Amino acid sequence: MTTHNMLIAPDFSPERFAGWHMFNTLIQKRANLNMHLNIPASHAEQEQVINAGDIQVIYANPFDAATLIREQGYRAVARPIGKSDEMVIAAGANSEINRLEDIQAGATVAMADNRDVKLIGLRLLEAVDIEEADLQWDVTETYQAAARKVIKGDAQAAFFLAEIFHSFSRLTKTQLTVLIESDLADISHVLLIKDGFSDTQIFMDAILNLHNDDEGKEALAELGMPQGFEAMTEEDAEFMIDLMQTLLD
Amino acid sequence: MGSPIPDAHKPELPAEQIILTYHDGTSRTVYDTGIERAYPDGKLIVSRTDLNGVITHVNDAFVEISGYHVDELIGQQHYILRHPDMPKAAYKDLWDTAAAGQKWHGYVKNLCKDGSHYWVYATVVPNIRRGETVGYTSVRRKPSRSKIEAAMAQYAQMKQNEEG
Repeated sequence: MTTHNMLIAPDFSPERFAGWHMFNTLIQKRANLNMHLNIPASHAEQEQVINAGDIQVIYANPFDAATLIREQGYRAVARPIGKSDEMVIAAGANSEINRLEDIQAGATVAMADNRDVKLIGLRLLEAVDIEEADLQWDVTETYQAAARKVIKGDAQAAFFLAEIFHSFSRLTKTQLTVLIESDLADISHVLLIKDGFSDTQIFMDAILNLHNDDEGKEALAELGMPQGFEAMTEEDAEFMIDLMQTLLD
Repeated sequence: MGSPIPDAHKPELPAEQIILTYHDGTSRTVYDTGIERAYPDGKLIVSRTDLNGVITHVNDAFVEISGYHVDELIGQQHYILRHPDMPKAAYKDLWDTAAAGQKWHGYVKNLCKDGSHYWVYATVVPNIRRGETVGYTSVRRKPSRSKIEAAMAQYAQMKQNEEG
């Protein structure tokens, strides 16, 4: 049996790690496919793996999906239902920054290395006349490290992937003030398959039916996608890409 | 020439009555109460049109702030949102740029159904499918107060030149 390769974009909460393994095990069993799971540790590693070729399935973040669809021969086939990609800008609860307007030019922003979170955060800061060049950037290994920086006062604000922010402990969250949370709604991660992937139909049947039984529901719950996946048309993906184009500048 | 969009309802609040004439030669009575609606924090206001500027899609944030029901928007000309303070040249620039296949950015004052208004920073991109433009997507973000004030001054000047 041919072994296919599936790659999961690295920007998920660490607690979802087991969920991706459960997901892969189930899909292999149900579609009767051999699927090797690739979970790169960083965006740079993701690019390396994809450019090396032989990746048939990618769970991609929306900004990467644009390039993968328009330039690298992938097409979007499914997305998680009700799970859009959002971000949070927060400050230390004890700091003097209580509103977005309190962030001043020269402030330091702590964040893990995630261009999408940075891009959306910058779009939100436009509303208070703050641009990228006005800020100092402190790139941390993890979002947890970014939270520590802002709590200790080493940074005036921090950018988080919303899902990761909401997974923080209550203790961490009480030490942070949310200045804004995005509600873009139409932008989400997408499941891509490479053109010419021979097992598309059987793979799609397995993905779209995951939420219909207990085992599937358990894996989806671990992934924070309790409603499962919905099919995506080519036009759905193109619409999302057009939308993201507007956010680039 | 009558407009395909019905005249606006006269609001209960005091409002200036204006007859707007659109680029297609149609005209319509609208009202301006001068009341500004706050842009919804964290959200994008999204719409799509066909090549003729007819609305084909609006998101929830669009519907909510506009004050219209979704059925009053789909199938209607996008200029249903045009505020009388907006200079014609701004829209001409938007449509010329988008029709040339380019991205357009700009500050826009939009008119709500009840005569109030809201400011946005709009980006319009052509929807290119297999090499052909099939429509346009407009995505609005929250503009800063300083940029709104600059746009107000600029548009007032442009309007004066239009009338002069």
